[in-house]
Amino acid sequence: MSTFKQIDRRAFIRGVGGVALALPVLDAMGNGVTEEIPRRFCAIYTANGMSLPKSEHDINEWSWFPTAQNNSEFVFSKSTEPLSPFRKQLSFMGGLYHPSGPKSDPHQCSDMWLTGAPLHNSKPGTYNSVGLDQVVALHTKRFCRQPSLVLSIDAGTGFLSRTGTISYSLDGRPIPAENNPRRVFDRLFRVDPASLTSVRNKLQLRIKLVDAVGDSARALQQQLGKSDRERMDEYLTSLNEVESRLIASEQWIDIPLKQQDYSHLNLDVTTEGEPAEYYRNMFDLIALAFDADITRSVAFMLNREDGMGISDTFPLKLGLSHTHHTLSHAGDKEGQLQFAKYDLFLSQQLAHFLSQLAKYQDRNSSLLDNTIVMFGSGASTTHNPRNLPTLIAGGANMGLKHGTYWRNGESRMSNMYLSILQSMGIEQGSFADSTTTLSNSIFG
Amino acid sequence: MKMTYFASNAIHQLRNPSRTIVLIFCSIRLLQPIQAADGPSRDGKSLENAFGQVVKPFLMQNCVRCHDADKLTSGIRVDQLNAEVEDRHIRLWQDIRKQIVDKAMPPEEETQPTEAERQAVAEWIHQALETARSRPLPNNGVTRRLTVAQYRNTLRELLLLEDNMTDLLPPDAVSRDGFVNNQETLLFSPLLLEAYFEVAEESLRRCIVDSTSKPKIQNFRVELGDSINPQPFPDPLILGAGSLLLNNKDVLVKELTPNKPFDFEPFAMRTKHRFIEGYAGNDTVRGWREYDSIYHSVFACMRGTDGYPKGRAYSTVPQGLLLRPAIPSSELFQVESTYGPKANFKVSLRELPEGGLFRVRVMAAKYNDGLLLDRGDTAQSLEQPDAVLCHDLETPQTITIPRSGIYQVDVYPSGTKSTTPSKKPKEKPNDWTLSLGDREFTGALSQPAFLVLRLDAGELSLKARHPGSVSVDKVVLSSLGHDHELAKRFAVFEQRSPKLGVHLGLRRDCGSTLAPVGEPQTVSSDKLTRFVFEGAIRNFPSPDVEKDNINYLAGIREIGVRSEYTDGRDMPRLLIRSVEFEGPFYEQWPPPAHQNIFIESDQKKDSVAYAREILRAFASRAYRRPISVDEETQLMNVFEQSSAEGCNFQDSVTSALLVVLTSPQFLFLIENSESPEPERLNENELASKLSYFLWNGPPDQELMTLAANGNLSDQMQSEVGRMMDDPRFSRFVSEFASQWLALEKFSVLEPDSGRFPKLTRDTRAQLQQEPIQFLEYLIQNNLALTNLIESDFLLANEVIASFYDLADKTESGFEFVPITHNRRDLGGMLTQAAIMAGLSDGRESNPVKRGAWLARRIIAEPPDDPPPNVPTLSEETKGLSLRERIERHRNQPGCVQCHLKIDPWGVPFEEFDAGGRLKQQSVDARSTLPDKSNIAGVNDLKRYLSQDRIDQVAFSFLKHLATYATGRNLAYNELESLKGAGKSLKANGYRMQDMIRFVINSDLFLTK
Repeated sequence: MSTFKQIDRRAFIRGVGGVALALPVLDAMGNGVTEEIPRRFCAIYTANGMSLPKSEHDINEWSWFPTAQNNSEFVFSKSTEPLSPFRKQLSFMGGLYHPSGPKSDPHQCSDMWLTGAPLHNSKPGTYNSVGLDQVVALHTKRFCRQPSLVLSIDAGTGFLSRTGTISYSLDGRPIPAENNPRRVFDRLFRVDPASLTSVRNKLQLRIKLVDAVGDSARALQQQLGKSDRERMDEYLTSLNEVESRLIASEQWIDIPLKQQDYSHLNLDVTTEGEPAEYYRNMFDLIALAFDADITRSVAFMLNREDGMGISDTFPLKLGLSHTHHTLSHAGDKEGQLQFAKYDLFLSQQLAHFLSQLAKYQDRNSSLLDNTIVMFGSGASTTHNPRNLPTLIAGGANMGLKHGTYWRNGESRMSNMYLSILQSMGIEQGSFADSTTTLSNSIFG
Repeated sequence: MKMTYFASNAIHQLRNPSRTIVLIFCSIRLLQPIQAADGPSRDGKSLENAFGQVVKPFLMQNCVRCHDADKLTSGIRVDQLNAEVEDRHIRLWQDIRKQIVDKAMPPEEETQPTEAERQAVAEWIHQALETARSRPLPNNGVTRRLTVAQYRNTLRELLLLEDNMTDLLPPDAVSRDGFVNNQETLLFSPLLLEAYFEVAEESLRRCIVDSTSKPKIQNFRVELGDSINPQPFPDPLILGAGSLLLNNKDVLVKELTPNKPFDFEPFAMRTKHRFIEGYAGNDTVRGWREYDSIYHSVFACMRGTDGYPKGRAYSTVPQGLLLRPAIPSSELFQVESTYGPKANFKVSLRELPEGGLFRVRVMAAKYNDGLLLDRGDTAQSLEQPDAVLCHDLETPQTITIPRSGIYQVDVYPSGTKSTTPSKKPKEKPNDWTLSLGDREFTGALSQPAFLVLRLDAGELSLKARHPGSVSVDKVVLSSLGHDHELAKRFAVFEQRSPKLGVHLGLRRDCGSTLAPVGEPQTVSSDKLTRFVFEGAIRNFPSPDVEKDNINYLAGIREIGVRSEYTDGRDMPRLLIRSVEFEGPFYEQWPPPAHQNIFIESDQKKDSVAYAREILRAFASRAYRRPISVDEETQLMNVFEQSSAEGCNFQDSVTSALLVVLTSPQFLFLIENSESPEPERLNENELASKLSYFLWNGPPDQELMTLAANGNLSDQMQSEVGRMMDDPRFSRFVSEFASQWLALEKFSVLEPDSGRFPKLTRDTRAQLQQEPIQFLEYLIQNNLALTNLIESDFLLANEVIASFYDLADKTESGFEFVPITHNRRDLGGMLTQAAIMAGLSDGRESNPVKRGAWLARRIIAEPPDDPPPNVPTLSEETKGLSLRERIERHRNQPGCVQCHLKIDPWGVPFEEFDAGGRLKQQSVDARSTLPDKSNIAGVNDLKRYLSQDRIDQVAFSFLKHLATYATGRNLAYNELESLKGAGKSLKANGYRMQDMIRFVINSDLFLTK
């Protein structure tokens, strides 16, 4: 601790009976290695559902959900085959849904995917409710530079029922997404000094405020005579914790970024160009951000509902017959096959991301084992809010047991979200409309 | 329902024979039982001795083997018990005593203690409990955090800021008694503190302005009426699926410059736009397009018009836009085509201010309307002497009305005719439009009897129009005598007045997300009148799109204007002439919130002295007492340090204000105690205690002044009266009633809409108010407590009355008024729909929930908590009815004991269904209560409670009231004191205000 004079001064905060409060977070920063291995979360969303062809078309091998078994193991379909190298690190999750889904306008399924909010009957004055990624961010932000990274195919927020972001803040407001790889890179990896200064100023102001409030609180405590001090102690403890978090954030500004190899990035790609090239670079950025522990919570919306935005045209660019939204409505054999081929394209992108995570190493193992990746859609086939296609990958070090196609009748998405939170060590009694965790599942 | 809900008496569970317990008995040394004849010994020393000699060995030999810290059988341990009989162990001791006396423990197969041993221990426990209950607790003051609601009210009244920022705060936890203001559950956390910092910064940012700058004010008006716009926008406008835009010629948008006594800059709405994503019908289209018109920025728009039951949902007439009451939608996708009520008029627009207050002004009138007749109403005889007949309506006719009065209009269609169909959209093929003078009536014609209306004597132009191939044979106008049944119906109809509601929110493709701006206002005049609605923008849903949004439909805000719906009774239409918006709305500059902080002073030139004055005034109001010298010095230090670092005066003061708003002096209610002995509250503490009890908010200036002068204690009785008369008292009633009665269970209920179609979202919102309004009425009129149990009246508005099939009893709109009911299923609070339905799962009635609720909340005989290892019901119960499952569950060992204390209270309520109404079929609701009273049904239960057990009900009410008033758990001796002393209220019938005053005047409230 001797290298941090300022921290020394504050780490042993007066009051609370003079008990020294160590700051484990700061210990970690000095060594560049955290005591606790990072636990990360990444949500990846695709709109309009997946191809689950009608049985009469006899192309079950193109169903996104596995339909066959071999030696009691599920068989990857043709549209998920690129993910087969990760069999032991992923699971398909069947039967999941948001109970609010069937009650709501189906175009809102992306709005509620991470939140589970009752958008059919939202409270007056509210918009949405907090998303899973932001709950994770709330608990991991003190370990890293950025609470979360919110990405989408289209920048901004879109609008309710046609959202352009899947991330919603603690008070349920949409968090604008970024979609430009260069801007993301510049913000995360090439921080400009001016913005650093403004961040530092803001933090320092807040630290001063906390200091002054501490003085005020201690003055009060002395007046309090024989009064029950339990509540005041709670207050002062919270104040100390807030102060240490602020100081940690301030310290980040001076700590150099981890040295990384950026040579594989092509930051000139845009959404107007090759879809695969775009997605590859965005996924590479996420992997780099995880590797440098810049953030531990990422939400990435790959495409949007109902023909919104540029991504609707991607299937055409790939030589498929129709736009994404139109394909998703297909009921005929050829249409459902074409839609499945777009699933195949998405599987290839996801496989690339998983391979990047598998390549980077934490102290104990690959990043993939320390990251829960959730990939899925808010609709199974278009406008069908039950049995949401969901794939969970990674997180072996958080106790996830992979390699299965899990189903247990119908289960609430929120229950799985609660399981994810608990796997990450985030003690929370419930999430949205959860009733319990996902028992007898890959979460143990 | 979770099975853990089924409580079970933990100790009885030990009877379970599957638990084989082998006790090895040592030889028992016989002890002399304490002689009861000695009289109850309250001497702590002798109790302690006896514990060591008698009780402890007894527990060690007979109980500890299973009930120690490791085994914790049934969640019970006794090894840690001592002679102290701490409060937290009182229940446990009670249970132990019962087990010993009933010989329920040790289990039969174990060696049993002797009768004498049992007696000795039972007697010791009895005495020790007596001692414990009479023992005063050390009084060391109270420090409790403001609840979220209290914090919200406090911040608003301190800062004069309407913006509600508390959505950043996590919700408060609920205590065992159901209250959120309990000292023990009001925890503190870093997350909460960070939120307080955010709220404080954001709130001050919104209060404090740069007073040298000019504010920007947005002000515009949308005028409505047939052909009101002489130069309508030429292009067709589209606003996505389900949006019906009024004709361009019927809408006129004007940007205005308000009259203000200060300099400002009018805000001009953006009219040039460039979008790449747009709509053609319901299809998305892509391609950059440029737009340049205010009519691409502000739209006049309708939603939800299909299937209006009678007449047309809306129509445009030269005088304005006519609206029928907006029927709430079922809010279910595919059940109805759109969200939001029909007919819902909205001004849709792209830009509104980011913050501050706003005003919406609506020019509206009650339309001089006619009553469209129902199917089955009969035409008047054609032979009537003064009937006016009119044929040949191909062209408008002028007829002469012989005398003023109420007329029925009958329309007789003839065969077919070949006219071109009307171009008006959405017209039902069977709709007729009849124009009488400048009034217009459209509706389906299923019979000649069409309309009743009031007509003046004299000439009247008449026009009839039908879109299809039917023509009019004749129209007959017959005068109705005022005793005619239809004339009477019309007289009632024309007395009614539409309720104008304004809403603010955002557009979604599937409807709207709108929140009401204040209460609906009654439009009772047929002259255009201005109605003003005010709110704070921050408190309404906003679409939150990015600045460079590229979608034509993204980020659309909405100002909704409706005729509000109560229960569908016939209602004259609401005429809307114009809707005007102004925001941010300022009456002065700088605004009051700013001047409230930067007070007028003659020390303004001396920045340090002025800062001191500001900080002292602000902090004293925030801390609800004069600030100490130390506190003032510290705040001045913050100010001076900030100034020294180069911040300007305003920013430096703000830094110190932030400290005030995040300090515990502000966030906590503190009753400071010098010693463990009871002390009287000081004057400032008393002011806060009263105001947070009776107003759920901070003391006002009058209370603070009385406290400062030391006069509050003396004038407390009259102050309490004043506080109960104040509108803020409603906050207490709503907060207390909701938590005491667990009304949140009703608010989260998802009723089976197939079985209970009347329980719509809007009706439920009103029903949830019923217990609150009822309690408020009882208090305001200082009525007797028995009314809570049974009363010959209920408090209802039109929605509630209609729900209970009493629609004809009131014409009060949304206002709750007392109604005498003469019905066996109504009256009192227990069987109100919010209670009965709230204690169900929305499908089946649930006697266990209802019983547990009554035992806990109404008679304060709470069942024990379920033990930690409650057995869940085995699988084979699936498919059984709820009642069968409950019975099966209840019969399990380990469950039965508690259920004997719960279920008998709930069974009489079986007469009510899960939707809160009396069941149609007869139900066996007989029950034997725990005290062996036999009850024939719900009304017999009400009689029993209000006559035989009213003391217990009064105790429960006092207990809950006192727990809420003090914000802490009451000690046993305090509860005992309530039990005894409360009976002094009985002579006067336990009147509601008397009980509130009783709590306020008790030591548990007044001492610390």
